[in-house]
Amino acid sequence: MHDADIKACEEVIKMATVAESKWEIKVPDKPLKDKLYFENLKSVVIDTEICSRCLTCAAVCPGGITVVGDKVDFPDYETKCLDCGACVRVCPRFVYEPLSGMGSSTAFIAGRSNRFAGQDGAMVTELIVSAMEMGIIDRGLFAGRNENWETEMFHVRDPEQLAITTLSGTKYTFADVLPELKKAVKFTQNGVGVVGTPCIVSGVRKLQQEYPIFREKVKLVVGLFCTENFHYSAISQYLRDKGVDFSKLVKTDITMGKFIATMTDSEVKFKVKALEEILPSGCNVCCDFTAVEADASVGSVGSVPGFSTISVREAIAVKILDYIKEKGYAEFGEGDPGQLGFLVGHKKKRAENLKK
Amino acid sequence: MKKVTVQDQGLVEKTKCHAAAIGVAMKESVYPLTATVQYPRQRKKMPDNFRGYILFDPDKCINCWECAFICPANAIRMKEAPNKKYYPTIDYGKCIFCHFCIDSCTDSALRTTKIHDVAYKDMDEMVTLTEEMIEPPEIVREDTKLVEYLIDDKDLQIKKTREVDSLFMDEVPPSVEIPVVSQCIDGASCIGCHVCEYVCGSGAISSSIANGVMNMAIDTDNCTGCGLCVKECTMQILKLVRK
Ligand SMILES: Cc1cc2nc3c(=O)[nH]c(=O)nc-3n(C[C@H](O)[C@H](O)[C@H](O)COP(=O)(O)OP(=O)(O)OC[C@H]3O[C@@H](n4cnc5c(N)ncnc54)[C@H](O)[C@@H]3O)c2cc1C
Ligand code: SF4
Ligand code: SF4
Ligand code: SF4
Ligand code: SF4
Ligand code: SF4
Repeated sequence: MHDADIKACEEVIKMATVAESKWEIKVPDKPLKDKLYFENLKSVVIDTEICSRCLTCAAVCPGGITVVGDKVDFPDYETKCLDCGACVRVCPRFVYEPLSGMGSSTAFIAGRSNRFAGQDGAMVTELIVSAMEMGIIDRGLFAGRNENWETEMFHVRDPEQLAITTLSGTKYTFADVLPELKKAVKFTQNGVGVVGTPCIVSGVRKLQQEYPIFREKVKLVVGLFCTENFHYSAISQYLRDKGVDFSKLVKTDITMGKFIATMTDSEVKFKVKALEEILPSGCNVCCDFTAVEADASVGSVGSVPGFSTISVREAIAVKILDYIKEKGYAEFGEGDPGQLGFLVGHKKKRAENLKK
Repeated sequence: MKKVTVQDQGLVEKTKCHAAAIGVAMKESVYPLTATVQYPRQRKKMPDNFRGYILFDPDKCINCWECAFICPANAIRMKEAPNKKYYPTIDYGKCIFCHFCIDSCTDSALRTTKIHDVAYKDMDEMVTLTEEMIEPPEIVREDTKLVEYLIDDKDLQIKKTREVDSLFMDEVPPSVEIPVVSQCIDGASCIGCHVCEYVCGSGAISSSIANGVMNMAIDTDNCTGCGLCVKECTMQILKLVRK
């Protein structure tokens, strides 16, 4: 190094004087005063069986909130909970005011991707990939699956990764989206896109409301229409009993009140109503069908088969859809919000279960 | 086909070359130059940064696990010690002697030696526990001569002296470094878990609760800039900056 360079470096070092680092954190309320925050969460949300298993709490918990069996739990919380209160700050159901209805909507359209195959019109995949191409995000979180149809989270960083065909398509089992989102936020340069059921979308919004780091890094939130989801242990057992062979299973779908498991050589069909016996208690008090807090929500009702219905809400979603149109990546048509009326109403009624 | 012919160098040049060859032969017969070190009776002088057997000083270890994380051969396992801290163990069956662990050790708790001749009976024995890393292993010294290779731009010289070299380095001189301290870059994203406070060995991070607000502070005078809190922070909002 030249003397001049060394001098310049020294100048920079001198300039960067450090102020004392001080910051404040608001301490969340504790209904049960002399209990740990986890015990508060447990008694208000988990033990009352209103927990949606969104895992927002697990995403922020530095101690070890996790899923044990089908329940959200924290083994050895007596010794391991740090009592920071992050879990109760972010849990969308700690102070639960159920959202419902259609939410704001700037457009209600139908779409079918020309590039990808998905559950319906693969518009979820199209939105995430297009956002990636536009440079809005550098990774999208997908709920993939293994051969037993257990969900596995996947960071998609390149459209070519969609060659893994199990990434798109609906899995009717919970996915650990939010703990993965925390990791994605840590690694991302530009931003993250995330997909999830309404409870997961509420979790993302709660994280964003509480912590700027999630506001800055999570750029696109795509919601899925959702009547209910299932615990893996329960639904897999149920389907096996119905004669579903997981090694041949290629698609699961719920349409027109029927659950359809499509296998390579046959199909198993039954009324969704039959699944009520394994309906998770958290879904039983969930009133949000359209993921009202998402930037855009996608579902199958409201459009013709083969198309995805898209309820467009935020400017970011409008921008991405314009890009998709411009590139000719998808075909578009009209969506019919009227068709959602029944399911929206059906879920709104679940507020009564909450009172019980 | 083309015939390859040797270039004729001319009589003068040829004679010169032969004379030089005879000169070397005569020199060798009087004072033979052997590059071989007669180990174990002789020992080669190793440079001070020789990558040999690794020693460990628990008093200097700050429990950051950096050595275990960086080891490309996965030779380092952290083991819980009776004082509840985790210290490294090295499996010499796996170690490739890259010494990344030593380079990564913030407080020079790991250091090198010039020991390269440790024998083991089996693979299990090569797993070196923390307590075995504190003191050097027992080795039998039979050497009486120290061999030094001196390489200049023309030739290799070999210097042999009646000397027994120490296999241990002097205290590692502290590297001249730019002083850094930990700073919070996004206080609003702090969840108040105190993880940073727990891991900080120098007590530089403090917290207090008053009126429903937790106040956190990093005392820049006490912070040694070890970076442990930066690594462990749940929300990744701490950063090392120049002091
Ligand atoms: C549990 C569940 C229940 C649903 N219920 C209804 C309903 O009652 N009515 C309705 O109209 N639509 C429902 N949907 C939405 C519908 O099944 C399709 O997901 C939606 O139409 C999008 O289709 P697509 O072809 O555009 O998406 P694709 O391009 O196929 O992409 C699907 C996306 O969903 C994600 N995903 C799949 N399973 C999960 C999961 N379990 N958790 C989080 N993310 C997941 C994938 O990662 C992928 O990004 C439900 C979806 C889920 C996951
Ligand atoms: S460590 Fe914090 S986030 Fe985890 S359970 Fe305890 S209070 Fe909640
Ligand atoms: S609702 Fe979500 S955040 Fe609340 S306890 Fe259940 S999993 Fe955790
Ligand atoms: S119904 Fe859907 S959105 Fe509601 S809690 Fe269950 S999975 Fe989540
Ligand atoms: S960087 Fe400073 S504040 Fe952080 S653990 Fe080390 S000494 Fe403590
Ligand atoms: S470790 Fe990070 S999140 Fe936890 S209290 Fe310290 S600065 Fe805040």
